Amino acid sequence: MLLQMKGITKRYGSLTANSGVDFSLEAGEVHALVGENGAGKSTLMRILYGEEQPSEGRIYMNGTEQSFSSPSDAIAAGIGMVHQHFMLFPSFTVAENIVIGREPKAGVTFDRKAAAEQVKALSEKYGMPVDPWAKVAECPVGVQQRIEILKVLNQGAKIVIMDEPTGALTPLEVEWLLKAIKRLSEQGISFILISHKLHEVLDSSERITVLRDGRVTGTVRAKDTDALQLSSLMVGRELVKLEKKHMVPGQPILDVQQVTVRGGKGAKPLLDQVSFQVRAGEIVGVAGVSGNGQSELLQAVTGLRRIDVGKVALSGQDVTGRSPFQFREAGLAHIPEDRYMWGSAKEESVTDNGLMGHLRSFSKGGILRKSQIRQTMADWVRSFNIKTGSLDTKAGHLSGGNMQKLIVAREMAHGTPFVIAAEPTRGVDIGAMETIHEALLKRREEQGAILLVSSELTEILKLSDRILVLFEGRIAGELTAEEATEEQISILMAGGEQR
Amino acid sequence: MRRLNWSTYAQALLMPLAAILLGLLVGAIAIWTVGGSVLTTYQEMWKGAFGSFYFTTSTLTRAVPIIFAALGVSLAFRAGFFNLGAEGQMIFGALAAALAALYVPGPGVVKMLAAIVAGMLAGGLWSTLAGWLDTKFRMNLLITTLLLNYIASLFAGYLVAFPLKEKGGSGGAQTAMLDKSVWMPKLFDGMTLHAGFIVAIVIAVLLALFLRYTTKGYEIRMLGSNPLFAAYGGVNRGRLMLMSMMMSGALAGLAGTFEVLGTQYRYIDNMLSTPGYAWSGIMATLLAGSNPIGSVAAAILLAALQTGGMGVERNTEVPLEISSVIQSSLILFVSARITFSFIKRKKARAADGHSA
Repeated sequence: MLLQMKGITKRYGSLTANSGVDFSLEAGEVHALVGENGAGKSTLMRILYGEEQPSEGRIYMNGTEQSFSSPSDAIAAGIGMVHQHFMLFPSFTVAENIVIGREPKAGVTFDRKAAAEQVKALSEKYGMPVDPWAKVAECPVGVQQRIEILKVLNQGAKIVIMDEPTGALTPLEVEWLLKAIKRLSEQGISFILISHKLHEVLDSSERITVLRDGRVTGTVRAKDTDALQLSSLMVGRELVKLEKKHMVPGQPILDVQQVTVRGGKGAKPLLDQVSFQVRAGEIVGVAGVSGNGQSELLQAVTGLRRIDVGKVALSGQDVTGRSPFQFREAGLAHIPEDRYMWGSAKEESVTDNGLMGHLRSFSKGGILRKSQIRQTMADWVRSFNIKTGSLDTKAGHLSGGNMQKLIVAREMAHGTPFVIAAEPTRGVDIGAMETIHEALLKRREEQGAILLVSSELTEILKLSDRILVLFEGRIAGELTAEEATEEQISILMAGGEQR
Repeated sequence: MRRLNWSTYAQALLMPLAAILLGLLVGAIAIWTVGGSVLTTYQEMWKGAFGSFYFTTSTLTRAVPIIFAALGVSLAFRAGFFNLGAEGQMIFGALAAALAALYVPGPGVVKMLAAIVAGMLAGGLWSTLAGWLDTKFRMNLLITTLLLNYIASLFAGYLVAFPLKEKGGSGGAQTAMLDKSVWMPKLFDGMTLHAGFIVAIVIAVLLALFLRYTTKGYEIRMLGSNPLFAAYGGVNRGRLMLMSMMMSGALAGLAGTFEVLGTQYRYIDNMLSTPGYAWSGIMATLLAGSNPIGSVAAAILLAALQTGGMGVERNTEVPLEISSVIQSSLILFVSARITFSFIKRKKARAADGHSA
């Protein structure tokens, strides 16, 4: 056995993140680690990577006990980690990023040529094509991930830990990655995949370990199990199937006409004459490969970015060129695409994060009504099952999924006729996804108009009544829920014609 | 009500305490290098700062302008703005207060109130100018606030050297002496400590309550914590910035006002820049992590280091500069964290050009 973790327990004060976890990995094996947010996956991997010390338990590699007091110990033992958010220097070349820390030298200077050759050899050996001289900033996300993998392989990794590797990838990139993982594992590299996406895990790994509340609830062979069994192991109960009721759409709530957002000098427009409506009681899904105008569209219909041409009307009110505050006044709630950049202040408390946008209803004469606020927050925490130490916990200490639930609770509480849900379930576990989808469908039944922007096709297909596909800032096609298939949308997303 | 969470409080205290200990350690090395006895020097320093009732109240007197400056700076910091212009705001505040106290007609109380209002307005407007340059022309606040100090200092120097110079005085660049009726009452007979100290403490408490319990305070904290989050939630950055710069400058203006009304009874050129009150105030804010109550404690600590340093100079061979060495190393050890969070904020700002 290449790696064995035995009886790993990790306590943070009164919180037990891992409790008696056993985990093993064979040479050339792909072993997936699944579980809801806060189930203890990341803690377990941080322990393996030397970033945290276990309170109890032992780690063995090839039968000998190891103790990693820092990531450099783990790297020296052949363990590499590819983080969810890439740790690359965008303005440096691919080769420079890969050899970092072990640069080839010519005398005292950095030998760039040798580095490029070394990277070329490495990329050929593992069948991971990259251009050593390209700037990382110019590489697509899929290639950046390849660079990260090559970086850890260059450090001599025999075990590669990948945290949510497919989160930011396009469907094609995902396919390529899963194949590459298979190929590398045949060359003897072992992988630990941390993931939420059960079908990918089932396709790509040999064994799957499920964690719930810090304990292992099962280690199963992928070929002996299915998504249903895995999700009940993860959640600890059967999932309810969501019902989408038939609705007849009412009045248009959001009306976007000919909206254009120019790019830099000489560049293509970021949004090019985009027109559409979202009506009461309907969910309009926006699909597209990220970077095709979704962010600009979101900012344009929330007042966060000025539009160069066109009109935006909300509930019959012209809000073109208005401030975000005036958009909200006109009846907007907004689950932002990046919950940390836009949706929260990590250093502030759960209460303060929940209060944003609700000041008017929770204050009198400019003074905050603290007890009323705390009561409401406690209600949200209960109804959305947000796992937090207390209402005064810093938001940054919540897991991603719980942060997202807090944001959804906050925005849904506005009770506005129009809701923007951008990547509402990105990086969120199955239980939380269920809660969030339920909330969105409920709003639809209450005659709410919802604009759903998501890079998850399954999510778009599951919730939307109509689907718009964005390609290079234009609406490349519109499909109804009945006629849309994943394949059709993929073609439109890639710039193909609508058939 | 917020439950006290002792471990977070302990953590918040740990950083400044460690910085103080390290600062004292570096000071010990410096004392040892110049050939002094570390123990005697620190003893003399303690005596100079808190050795008797007289020295204690002198230390608190010196702390008054530092507290006001620190409160002003911390308010701006909480909103995410680096206000390095406390000195200029303080100078204009002091000058305006002196002029109001000299020329506004009426009984002493009226003159005094007029002086306080004038001091706050002058400091506040001078600071708002920097904020306006940022919102209107995107001029970097760090640079504008810093440079406006020189303008204020030199312009005030000119005014008291020529047009406003006291008639037939001793020849120094200063205004005429204020009438006794506008002097701040002393808290104890024969001691320098004046009523401005009480006002400073009250304002510190009010500021802490303002940040915690009001909607504007909430918006200021969120803007400082994540400007994109604030913009997303509908907080108007420009207006809030002008408001917090105005308040920040007004507090710095009060520092100058109370120096004029409470200790010097006139505006004297360089009376605020030579002791470096504004910079001590900024240091106090950094030490306290922009917490108003903590800023008061830090301001008193810095004042004590300065008065203690004077005691050391009086009674030992060790020069006054040693206490500056300690102060500077305090800031050095604290600044590591500040710089880090400032860089993070700049990154967030660069990530979006429009709203931030």
